Amino acid sequence: MEKLYIEQTKGTPKIDFDPDANILVLWGQSYPENSFNFYEPIFNWVDCYLVECNAAMRIKVNLSYVNTSSSKCILMLLDKFEKAHQNGTSITLDWYYDIENESELECAEEFEEDITFPFNIIPLSQEI
Amino acid sequence: MFEKTLMDLQNHLKESGILISFSGRFSQGIIEELGDAIKKHMQTEDMPKNDIYNVFAIFVEQTHNIKNYTTDKEGSCYYDQIACSGIVTIGKSEGAYFICSGNLVEDKDVKPLAQKINQIMHLDKKDLKKLYKEQIRQELAPGSQGAGVGLIDIARKSKHAIKYSIVDIDGHLSFFSIKVTV
Repeated sequence: MEKLYIEQTKGTPKIDFDPDANILVLWGQSYPENSFNFYEPIFNWVDCYLVECNAAMRIKVNLSYVNTSSSKCILMLLDKFEKAHQNGTSITLDWYYDIENESELECAEEFEEDITFPFNIIPLSQEI
Repeated sequence: MFEKTLMDLQNHLKESGILISFSGRFSQGIIEELGDAIKKHMQTEDMPKNDIYNVFAIFVEQTHNIKNYTTDKEGSCYYDQIACSGIVTIGKSEGAYFICSGNLVEDKDVKPLAQKINQIMHLDKKDLKKLYKEQIRQELAPGSQGAGVGLIDIARKSKHAIKYSIVDIDGHLSFFSIKVTV
């Protein structure tokens, strides 16, 4: 299966999903012109990956800002991982946040609320 | 004459505490540039990151609301008027930042919009979170641009109750404006 790589822009995060290393990275800000258009290929890739994946996977996220329509897409993405976890896939998610910004922490905590797989909320010591 | 108009406009902006303003058709590029500008301005003023985040987030939701509403109106005979009617201002008054935006809306959309805001404007943060979590999970109509929770998100990030007004223009269109303070 091919890697999914999307370059970061002002309004969209970097997507670096590596099926060989089983590491999925989502990094940046998310407020695209049309979130559903932006996330659709990501949903499709993840659907295929979760069918093929048979190793432990790690998701690394840092989203310094997520608008509401992107939040809906992130929830849809997390639902897919949650379902895979319920079916026995080993998943760990590391969510990095800026220690000086409590809004980022609250945002991460809210996403964590409906998740049962390991969801680590980790402070970033400096801006990346 | 033009210099008088410009100076009057500048004085008016200064007196109102407006730092950044844009009037016209919103594009994603304009939203990104204005958002960056206000973030940088607040950073130079050493504002807490949390306040910068909230001002930026409210600005993005307000301007995306206008942009998405315009896209929804693509088939309407009022489309051109609506598309060019957007305005946003970000400013500072008495130490607090405010984000004000406005646009034309079709009269038939006024009632549902007012109902939506009236429903959320006096909820406390706990009830707003509950409503947000319920609504973000709801199925969307095909072709929806947003998640339908922009106003709730704005209310959650606002320090005071949202202020809004709707003024009838000509019996077909009304001007909707909203002011949020951080």
